[in-house]
Amino acid sequence: MKRAVLSCNGMDKQFGSLARELALKLSETQGTEIICPVLLNNSPDRYEKTLAESSLLVVDGCPTRCASKLANKLGLKVDDKVLISEEAKTTGLEVGKSLRLGPVGMQLIELLSKECLVSRQISVEEASAGFDSPVDFITVTHDKFIFKIPSHDYLFSENDCWVRVIGNRARIGVSDFVQQNLTDITYFEPAEVGREIEQFDEVGSLESGKSMMDALSPVSGKIVAVNTELVDSPELVNEDPYGRGWIAEVELDDFESDKEVLLDAAAYSRIVEKKAAEAN
Amino acid sequence: MTIDVKKQKIIVMPCSGIGKVHGLIAREATYAVTDELAPDSFEPMCLALLVSGDEEALAKIKKMDCITVDGCPKLCAAKNVEMAGGKIVRSIRVVDAFKNYRGAEPGTATKLADDGWTIVSEIAGGICNKREGEVS
Ligand code: SF4
Repeated sequence: MKRAVLSCNGMDKQFGSLARELALKLSETQGTEIICPVLLNNSPDRYEKTLAESSLLVVDGCPTRCASKLANKLGLKVDDKVLISEEAKTTGLEVGKSLRLGPVGMQLIELLSKECLVSRQISVEEASAGFDSPVDFITVTHDKFIFKIPSHDYLFSENDCWVRVIGNRARIGVSDFVQQNLTDITYFEPAEVGREIEQFDEVGSLESGKSMMDALSPVSGKIVAVNTELVDSPELVNEDPYGRGWIAEVELDDFESDKEVLLDAAAYSRIVEKKAAEAN
Repeated sequence: MTIDVKKQKIIVMPCSGIGKVHGLIAREATYAVTDELAPDSFEPMCLALLVSGDEEALAKIKKMDCITVDGCPKLCAAKNVEMAGGKIVRSIRVVDAFKNYRGAEPGTATKLADDGWTIVSEIAGGICNKREGEVS
């Protein structure tokens, strides 16, 4: 399900300014749609469709709770709430008096946007039902290494990324061969949700003590979700590269033509064999 | 700049303008006036506070003069102050300031570029000069 955020526009209070900053951050990093409180009050019809299709997060700056009051007055269904002044107290961060975003404010927004990611994660999981981990694999053995490749449902690019498609949605990740080559993955940087991408554009990057790799999307379209769980737990790519270690989801643009250059499991296994041999 | 601080302050009310560069310019121009250029003469107010029907805000807006700064021609700030019974002594539209800067690249909804800051200064300066003109 999509997400929308209704935040107060706090002008003369630092927590209000931060409420607005959080809304902007969520929209930039997660594609959450922003609902302007004033426009909503003046012309509620303008947001009718968004509200019907989205789960709603309300962000208030201070205990006056203007955004919550507005949501209440208009009878909106609120799924989640954040009160910035309370959050600041809980985290112990002193944001100071300035109405502009300073380093501590930025830290708080960073923290809160990650927390809000958790609820997004749930909705992403719901929306992506069906993308469960594979059970049947073919294997490529080289020396002491065994590389697994799901035998059904997955297509691969020559640059070792996989794609799995359900309806108009594609999930993307990197292969077992990549994760074994990188060894222990310590850092994941997600792509920006909402960005339109061409086939083989970057959809996130992975880093280990050994090297770094950009994951290149095997398909073109719009990034609709990123696996935020990897930000805190990048090791999931090592543990389950075709399942919980997925990297991004894309709303497909032209899968029929993207498919022309993608490989099935058998064809990809030959590439892995070759690469593994070359690596030694 | 000579400003008569004995005079009652004027409220500067930008639109919410969240997610749009024009709105960010309205907001930054307001901060420039109320934080830096003339905090003794002007004060900001949350538009959402007014819109949500806060009684204190409603009472205040009826007592004090108000300058509204709207990003776009929808004029959310001006309309809501008017609806609340406030007295608007000047209504500024950021889009109008752009007319003097054809082809300007103001930046984004989260970060202004040089052209955006130039427009902020022009709007903020205009607000302060008005008050100066009024008192001198
Ligand atoms: S909740 Fe507080 S900060 Fe936000 S608009 Fe209302 S009064 Fe201003």
